[in-house]
Amino acid sequence: MKKRLLLTAMMTTLFAGTFLLWADDDRDDDRNDAFRYPAYQKQEKTSQRPTADKGRALFVRECSACHMAYQPEFLPKRSWAKMMRTLEDHFDTDASLDRNETAQIEAYLLRNAADAKRVYGDIAEIARGIRADETPQRISETRGFKKEHRKIPNRLIEQKEVKSIANCMACHTKADKGNYSERMIFIPNYGRWDD
Amino acid sequence: MKQTILILGLLTSSLAFADPIDGYLQMLKEEVQRADPSFKEFSAQRGEKIFFSKQIGKRGKEVSCASCHTNDLKQPGENIFTGKKLEPLSPAVNPKRLSDLKKVKKWLRRNFKDVYKREGTARGKGDVLTFIKSH
Repeated sequence: MKKRLLLTAMMTTLFAGTFLLWADDDRDDDRNDAFRYPAYQKQEKTSQRPTADKGRALFVRECSACHMAYQPEFLPKRSWAKMMRTLEDHFDTDASLDRNETAQIEAYLLRNAADAKRVYGDIAEIARGIRADETPQRISETRGFKKEHRKIPNRLIEQKEVKSIANCMACHTKADKGNYSERMIFIPNYGRWDD
Repeated sequence: MKQTILILGLLTSSLAFADPIDGYLQMLKEEVQRADPSFKEFSAQRGEKIFFSKQIGKRGKEVSCASCHTNDLKQPGENIFTGKKLEPLSPAVNPKRLSDLKKVKKWLRRNFKDVYKREGTARGKGDVLTFIKSH
């Protein structure tokens, strides 16, 4: 009797395991699952809007298929609105998505833009430098960003380990978590950055 | 009766193309054949040429599909513009590849425009898909 019970238990585990394995078949291999910006977690706890979660998940999945999903707090609403209108020519790539996905990602970006809520820290400092008559599309072209990066020699940006000033994660090792603190900087072929 | 035939028809067609990518390839093939009735099959060789041929592509840079996906489809690649790491394109080593039709269509459109500055033709897309499938 005991043997039989054990066998049943084993079979169930095996079956459940197989099912879980199958169910975990990620549709998207390019998504960045380490995206845990603390501010988002806080917001999610209080709001608990299922559509908000879906918008964020889509934002991370689709944007980080090509680059880090830059925190929406970097740019104002008008910047994100323009970007989502012009995805077909997104820095010379056709990044367009279907209408539903576009709308959900845009809603997420607008809810979390620099001028949609209180933003703190390094990100806020960059966002604050954007004038009301500007609609930047590249975070790297904002005044605050340029000031923060002015001492970085070009060779460190152009080197193959970095490639582009837009590749935050190459040096800001916790950028995908919204952490741009100096302690977390490690520049390839250079090391820690002491300003 | 009509309904039964319809259901049977649907069943057989869905059985024939249980793989959504195969169904898509069949659709592309019919599209090519409508314009060129002598067209027989997509070719991995032609697809390989499309994959490796260099063009003045995105941001005026001379690129081919292999610029990011590398010369060996079984190897991981890297987006040469952003540094984003790419998983291997070969379905043999990466079973997630060619499993989601919506994703396949999106990336064919996107990457054809990155390299060729235009969307792929039905023939071009079919050839490239056949090439990737053969790896």
